[in-house]
Amino acid sequence: MPRITSAAQFLPYILFCGAILAVPSIVSDPFLLNKFARYLALGLAAAALALSWGYCGILNLGQGVGFGLGAYAMAMHLKLKTSPVHTGTAGLPDFMVWNNLDHLPWFWQPFHSGLFALAAAVLLPALVAALLGWFMFRARIAGVYVAIITLAMLAVTNLLFVDQQAYTGGLNGITDLAWFEMGGVEFDPYSPAFYYLSAGCLAFFLMLGMVFTRSKAGLVLRAIGSGTDRVLFFGYDMASYQCLAFSLSASMAGVAGMLYAMVLEFASPTFMGVPISLSMVIWAAVGGRGSLLGATVGAILVNGTQGSLSETFLDSWQLILGALFILVVVFLPNGIAGLANSLGARLSGRARGMAARSAAPSALLNRR
Amino acid sequence: MSYLELHGLEVSFDGFKAVNGLDLSVERGELRCLLGANGAGKSTTLDLICGRTQPTGGRILLDEHDITYDPEYRRARRGVGRKFQVPSVFKELSVRENLEIARSRHPEPWCTLRAFPGRRLSPRVAEVVEIVGLEDALDTRAGHLSHGQTQWLEIAMLLVQDSALILMDEPTAGMTIQETGKTSAIFQRLRGRHTLIVVEHDMGFVREIAETITVLHQGRRLSEGPIRVIENDPKVREAYLGSGGISHA
Ligand SMILES: Nc1ncnc2c1ncn2[C@@H]1O[C@H](COP(=O)(O)OP(=O)(O)OP(=O)(O)O)[C@@H](O)[C@H]1O
Ligand SMILES: [Mg+2]
Repeated sequence: MPRITSAAQFLPYILFCGAILAVPSIVSDPFLLNKFARYLALGLAAAALALSWGYCGILNLGQGVGFGLGAYAMAMHLKLKTSPVHTGTAGLPDFMVWNNLDHLPWFWQPFHSGLFALAAAVLLPALVAALLGWFMFRARIAGVYVAIITLAMLAVTNLLFVDQQAYTGGLNGITDLAWFEMGGVEFDPYSPAFYYLSAGCLAFFLMLGMVFTRSKAGLVLRAIGSGTDRVLFFGYDMASYQCLAFSLSASMAGVAGMLYAMVLEFASPTFMGVPISLSMVIWAAVGGRGSLLGATVGAILVNGTQGSLSETFLDSWQLILGALFILVVVFLPNGIAGLANSLGARLSGRARGMAARSAAPSALLNRR
Repeated sequence: MSYLELHGLEVSFDGFKAVNGLDLSVERGELRCLLGANGAGKSTTLDLICGRTQPTGGRILLDEHDITYDPEYRRARRGVGRKFQVPSVFKELSVRENLEIARSRHPEPWCTLRAFPGRRLSPRVAEVVEIVGLEDALDTRAGHLSHGQTQWLEIAMLLVQDSALILMDEPTAGMTIQETGKTSAIFQRLRGRHTLIVVEHDMGFVREIAETITVLHQGRRLSEGPIRVIENDPKVREAYLGSGGISHA
């Protein structure tokens, strides 16, 4: 696939970011804004997966780990903020009181600070991914084994959070959250302010991801993603590149999870469950795992369709989703983004052909 | 002390010793040819030097450093470059992108994260592209190149990588006579500035480029010296008996 100039590569990203940031000026229904903000959060999670899977060949079936950690980090802060309304005698979150805790565990203490929660939502998933990645990639584990290990990691994390009821709220998770507040702005999940927060985060990470994948490091990652260890013989430490992509992806998933917890006003172990993690794989595949924007759009489209269809076909939705996945894998291996790319290439090829015919002499001069 | 030294190098695959107590020293700037029948252990020797295979015994010294157990990427950073017997390029990437990967003087992530390769080729890369004749294929996906072009691309990548020690595994395999001539011209230019170890079956090519030849047999060094000595060595004749003497190997 010949690469078009980088300006043309940036254009769809800029258009998309402009479009999502313009939504509140058209839509004023708070419920709709809330719904869109949720889709954007999920779009960010899919983009995160595209970064590790699409670019670097790391099929992370445990994307829910980063997503869930981000969600819980924010939920812990927002739970503490409800104090003392939803809290028991010692200013403790309700579920701790039910579990007979008499003081706030030490690792909950710093979550009084919103800034700390934000940092934790970004850094904690990256840290966990870096650790797991270090063991996996140093040992040259690749391909389907990565999928199995990340899935196992997801199961373990999920079990841990369900099991440690006194600290995590167990199966219920952390519920009845306050609104996030920063710099005097209150992010009511049904407000334009919150929508802008979601859209801003997504736009920021799409741009960051775009720059990252255009860098030489991104090129090295694509070379690694093609499934050889040839880069080693040019001096690139493959494992540290893989760790980098894996951690950045986990960080993005963490931010997505954080937004998701804010928009739903709770965090639950289902956020780090198998169904949501596999759904992310489907969204990314539908949109095109080779493109951050494609994966984002895939997530938004699938969730949008799910939102409008599942009221009518509640039971068969999973079936529809599965069928969609199979169809895409068979007929559109590069997803919607691949379709758009080949259409764009055909159009620009035709335009170039016409330009060349009408301006043959200058075209000759322009050749080198 | 020589630039590259192998001492009693040994590797065993499930009990089979593909390389079996190999001693070899190569001086800085030398062009050394490795000969040997199929399965003699030539590729495996290069694998051991570049780190693709871990030895089960012996030592490898490069420029007085013991690199026996260094990972591949460390050896590459110390100046070991490798062309594989089966051309090994990044098929999903364009020729231009392949060459950009080969430009690996600063391979650490914190350097590559700040580098944004543009479409302009550096003078060095442009020169190499011209030498190997891939000017018109820069935006072709490497997977779409012909076998010969893939061979040239990998050679170009090694030229761009500019390693001090270059290990070439059958670089002229599948090349036409003209292309082989071009390859030998390239090697003549590299001679002296780089240390080269070349595995080749094409005796015409070997005659053209080699000063010293090492003949491997069953993972050991059978004979070593200039081409005349090798050709007249009875041990070499014996080892090659099945294939009718070294000249026809
Ligand atoms: N990874 C491996 N596992 C098992 N056996 C191996 C492995 N690599 C090489 N061998 C065996 O070691 C021997 C030497 O192989 P090597 O590839 O080094 O030969 P060569 O001299 O390069 O031969 P050719 O001229 O055919 O390329 C062969 O018998 C081969 O089958
Ligand atoms: Mg070989």
